[in-house]
Amino acid sequence: MKMDILSVKDLKKHFDGVKAVDGCSIAIETGTVVGLIGPNGAGKTTMFNLISGFERGIGEIVFKGIRTDNLSPFKIARCGMVRTFQIPRALTKMTVSENLMLAPKTQLGERIWDVWLHPKRVREQEMQIREKSRDILEFFEISHLEGEYAGALSGGQKKLLEMARAMMIDPSMMLLDEPFAGVNPTLARKISRHICELHEDGMTFLVIEHDIPAITKISDRIVVMNEGKIMAEGEPAEIKQRRDVLEVYIGGER
Amino acid sequence: MIEYVDILLPYITTILLISSIYAIFSLGLNLEWGFTGLINFGHVAFLAIGAYTTVMFNMSGFPLFVSVIAGIVLSGFFGLLLGIPTLRLREDYLAIVTIGFSEVLRFILLNEQWLTRGPFGIHGFGRPLQDVIPYQHYNTFLLILYLVILVIVYFALERLVRSPWGRVLKSIREDEAVSSALGKNVFWYRLQSLMIGSAIAGLAGAMLAFYISYIDPNTFKPIETFHAWIIIILGGTASNKGTIVGALVFCTFLSVTQFINRFLPFTAHQMGAFRMIVIGLLLMILMMYKPEGIFGKKEELALSD
Repeated sequence: MKMDILSVKDLKKHFDGVKAVDGCSIAIETGTVVGLIGPNGAGKTTMFNLISGFERGIGEIVFKGIRTDNLSPFKIARCGMVRTFQIPRALTKMTVSENLMLAPKTQLGERIWDVWLHPKRVREQEMQIREKSRDILEFFEISHLEGEYAGALSGGQKKLLEMARAMMIDPSMMLLDEPFAGVNPTLARKISRHICELHEDGMTFLVIEHDIPAITKISDRIVVMNEGKIMAEGEPAEIKQRRDVLEVYIGGER
Repeated sequence: MIEYVDILLPYITTILLISSIYAIFSLGLNLEWGFTGLINFGHVAFLAIGAYTTVMFNMSGFPLFVSVIAGIVLSGFFGLLLGIPTLRLREDYLAIVTIGFSEVLRFILLNEQWLTRGPFGIHGFGRPLQDVIPYQHYNTFLLILYLVILVIVYFALERLVRSPWGRVLKSIREDEAVSSALGKNVFWYRLQSLMIGSAIAGLAGAMLAFYISYIDPNTFKPIETFHAWIIIILGGTASNKGTIVGALVFCTFLSVTQFINRFLPFTAHQMGAFRMIVIGLLLMILMMYKPEGIFGKKEELALSD
């Protein structure tokens, strides 16, 4: 029996009477890929914002044994949880390489006095970080973009960049918000292959996605949300058979 | 010929002195706005705090060096005080609070006569090595001193903005949500940037006081803040080199145009307004054809997306 890396208990978030997330509980086992699906407005992104600390709700969130529901986003990130955004947020006026090198935790050169007092150690660390960023760029097959400004990248490349940047902080869990949306099929296949490879290395994922065939292929489990509530949970094959899930999706389009 | 040199040299010295003071003042703002994206419309307040602190410390018997350090530290401290309540909020709050603060401060300087001598201003304070350097060479000495300070401040800032620390600042300027999603304490970095920027303005304040050897509250009107903004936009946002060149261009322009009114049918007052119109026009042309400024990088232009 594996441990739960993340457990969410009775999480609620209301916006002026709209119950965006209304009493959700999820437990995610270490090293699994969990897909979070549901029609538009089901509360998936709000759920992400709550888990990553960008919004405050009511309820209990425990990540790696630490209560994180009252922590700021940056503290949660330091615990080893990293998220991407629905609309990719590359730092467009910085180069791809700078985007990646920004990410690692506890960089000596991020403290002003160390920039002055230990320039040599800062330089050495920078070199290690640069090397690591090159390895990760290679893994995501975007090495050729290293020196480009992130603003010059295509939408799909920005998604890859976001994932690559997230990898730089050595996370134990990644939250991906629609990694396949607006990405051409070749690139989508690439992204899902990368997720699978990282999964094999033991990374835990929580993935919001609308592309049902793609998400069911990579997930160990699927959680279905509708109107702020969790309506179904189970193995991908099982979820695909559920008539109510299908109806919600088709109904949700109207 | 000799006469020309006699007039021209002190004149150039004056322009360079003013430019170097403006350059350092603007470098502080460039760290805040250019690299961190903080909108500070009250930068002049820290110039005033630096100048008044230095001068008042010196008048109460402290050595000049200690007084200048006090001015720098106190400016930085006020940056901290202003930053704590505002930097967690949206950018515009800092803009509103800082412009308010700079005006409130000016009125305090104006009205608290027991402390600041109010509108009479303060003079008669010490200047660096004033007993050693002959009077006729004093400005030349001051210029050399200020250029040395400028070079030190420039390289200090360059090292900072090119370090991982500067990288975090730039990421906050671009998108603070990304920085915090990557585990960076956005608030603390903004606070550091504001403190350092303010401390640098404090240094410029001390330099200004030594140069004009007389300060009063009207030296620190809000327009000075906007001069610094013009300098930064002119030179290129987020470029320290650009800021220095911007200061030189701006001060030269302000100074040289003082002579043009001989050829134009304007009173001194009208001339002042006319100069501002020309500056505005030049900035507009610059924005149209080279929006990133003289030394700015187009890809890093902070004004558009």
